[in-house]
Amino acid sequence: MSVISFVSGKVRGRRPGSVGAEGAAPSQNKRAGAESEAIPGEGAKFRLRDVSLRYGNRPVLEGITMDIPERRITAVIGPSGCGKSSFLRCLNRMNDLVEGCRLEGLVLLDGEDIYAREYDVTALRRRVGMVFQRPNPFPKTVYENVAFGPRIFGIKDRETLDGIVELSLKRAALWEEVKDKLREPALALSGGQQQRLCIARVLAVEPEVILLDEPCSALDPIATQRIEDLLAELKENYTIVIVTHNMQQAARVSDYTAFFLIESQGEPGRLVEFGDTATIFTAPADPRTERYITGRFG
Amino acid sequence: MNAGTAGNGPRHTVLRRPGARDGGFGEGDEALRVMERAAGVDEGKAGLTEGSAGQGEKPAQRPGVKPLYLGRKDRIAEAAEKAARRAFLADRVARLGIWSLSALALSVVALVIGVILWNGLGTALSPSFLFGKPEAMREGGGIWPMVVSSFYLAALTLLMVIPLGVGAAVYMSEFAGEGRLTRLVRFGADSLSAVPSVVFGIFGMVVFVIYLDLGYSLLAGALTLTLLNLPTVMRSAEEAVRSVPVSYREAALALGCTRWETVKRAVLPVAMPGITTGAILCVGRIVGESAAVIYTVGLFVRKVPWSPLRPAAPMAANIWHMYTEGALVPDWFRVASGEAAFLLLLVLTLNLAARWVAGAVRKRMGYRV
Repeated sequence: MSVISFVSGKVRGRRPGSVGAEGAAPSQNKRAGAESEAIPGEGAKFRLRDVSLRYGNRPVLEGITMDIPERRITAVIGPSGCGKSSFLRCLNRMNDLVEGCRLEGLVLLDGEDIYAREYDVTALRRRVGMVFQRPNPFPKTVYENVAFGPRIFGIKDRETLDGIVELSLKRAALWEEVKDKLREPALALSGGQQQRLCIARVLAVEPEVILLDEPCSALDPIATQRIEDLLAELKENYTIVIVTHNMQQAARVSDYTAFFLIESQGEPGRLVEFGDTATIFTAPADPRTERYITGRFG
Repeated sequence: MNAGTAGNGPRHTVLRRPGARDGGFGEGDEALRVMERAAGVDEGKAGLTEGSAGQGEKPAQRPGVKPLYLGRKDRIAEAAEKAARRAFLADRVARLGIWSLSALALSVVALVIGVILWNGLGTALSPSFLFGKPEAMREGGGIWPMVVSSFYLAALTLLMVIPLGVGAAVYMSEFAGEGRLTRLVRFGADSLSAVPSVVFGIFGMVVFVIYLDLGYSLLAGALTLTLLNLPTVMRSAEEAVRSVPVSYREAALALGCTRWETVKRAVLPVAMPGITTGAILCVGRIVGESAAVIYTVGLFVRKVPWSPLRPAAPMAANIWHMYTEGALVPDWFRVASGEAAFLLLLVLTLNLAARWVAGAVRKRMGYRV
C-alpha cells in the first residue's frame, strides 16, 4: 500500500528527495514512555528503556536506555565486541534468528512495543530496513534486486515496478551508473555499487528507518565517500542508525553519537554516553568516551 | 665484518669437499650451508680465503682462532649431499608411482568405455535399431520400447523423488533446528544409501508389486526407485541449500520476507544449480539401475508402454535379460551390446549436461565460475 503512494509520488513528478516525507509524518506526534530521555527539539523514532540482551548465558547488552531521534543520523561507535551490531539488530528484531537470544526491557517504535507478543515482525522489518557490513545483493539482475521487496508485496505490474526501481536507484545515487545494465547480474558491479544497490533495495520497500551495520568497512575511500554523501541526503526522509568502526566517519556523517563499551571480557556492553555528535567529539562528559575518541584505547 | 661481505662468492668452493662432484643439486648446496651454520661454522672465516685460496684448500688460520670445523666439515657436506640425493631419488620414485597409478586408473576407465563402444556403438547409432521394434524369437530387433521405458521410468521417479527430497532438505536445513530429529533423519538417509539396490528391488516387489497389487509396472518401479534415490537426492539438495550464503537469507528477512518467502525467493533460486545437478545425476542412476527394476518393472516388452500401470523394460534390465535369458533371439549379443553402448552414451551425456547446466546458471547469476 505504501509502495503505491511511493509511485504515485513519482507520477506526480515530484523530486525524489521530497517523496516519502508524508509516509513518516504521522508518527511524529506520538509520544510514549519516559520523557526524560528525549532529546530537546527532536521527535524520537525509537525509544529504548533498560534494554538487555543475552545470547544463551552470555550477556551482550545491558541497561540500554536511549531515544533515537527521527530523521537524523545516529552513529553507534565503540570497540569491537561491545555489542554495537547486536544493538542494531534489536531494532528490527534480526536477533530473533539467533538461537537462545533473549531481550528484556522495552523497545518502542513510534510508541509501539516491537517485542509485544502479537507484533508483526515482517511488517516491522519493512518499516525498519537494514544494510549489512558486506554488500549482499542477490545473485540476480540489478533490476530484480531492487524489485525484490515490491514483488514480495505482490506488485506484478511492470510499469509500477519499473517506476519503483528507477526511483529507488536514483535515491541511492546509483541510477546514472547502472541504468544501462539493469539486466546484468548485480554481482558484476563494484563493491561500492553493490552496497548502494543494497541501499536501493531497502529504499524500494519504503522504510521509515534504515539501519546500517558498518556499511563501508568493505569499501575503498571513494566508495565510502559516496555512501556518506548519500546518507546525508537520505536523512531528510529517513531515520538512520549507523554502526561504524570509523570514528571519523561517525564525526563526519552523524547528528548524534552513542558510545558503547564493554568493561571486560564476559561483561555485557553498556551505553556509556549518548548525545549530539559535536559534544561527544569535542567535550565528552565521560572520561572513557574521551579516552576512546582520542585513540588511547580500543 | 669485511671478510663476511667479501666471502660471498667463493664461499662454497672453499667449503666443498675436495674433488666433490658437482651434482647440480641446488638444494644440496643450500642444505650444506644451513647445516654448517647449525654446526657453528663461521661463515666469515670461510670467506677469509678469498683470493688466496684455491679450490679445496683449507682456509688460512687466524692466530688464536681454533678451526673447529675442520674435519667435521667433510662429514657434514657428505651427509648433506647424501640426503639431497636421497630426497631427489624419493621424489622421482613417488612421482613415477603416482603417475603410473593414475594412468592405470584412467586406462581402466578407457578400456571399459572402449570395449563397450567397440562392441555396440555401430548398432546403437543405427536408427533401425534405436527406433525399431524388438523381436522375441527372430534376429534384427530394435529397442525403442526399452528406451521409452527408461525415460518414462526416470520421469515418473523424478516426479516423486524431487519434491520429496527437496522438501525434506529444505525442512531439514531451513526449518528444523539442529537436533535429535534432524540427526536421526540424516543417519537414516545415510544408512539407506548404503543398502544395495537389489534389497530395494525385493522390498518393492513385496510391497508395491504384490501387496499393493500394482503388478510389474512402471509405477511400482518408480515407487521403488523413489525410495532408492531419496537419500541421495535429499542429501545433495540439502548440500545445495546449505551452501547458500547466510547473507542472502538475512537480506531477504530484513526486507520483510517471511521464512517461506525467504526460502522461495532467496534460497531456492540460488540453490537451484546444485539441486538441478543432483536431479540430472539422479536420472543417470535411474536409467542405469537394473537390480531394483528387474523385480518391479519387467524385462522385455514388444510394445511401447504408455500407461504407468503397464509392465515395461528399461534398458538396464533388458541388457541383463538379453545376456541371461535372451538366447531366444539369435542376435542377443548384438542387442545387448548396442543397448549398453547407448546407455553409456546417455549417462555420459547426462553427467556432462549436469555440469554444463550448473555452470551456465551460476554464470547467469553473475558468479565467476
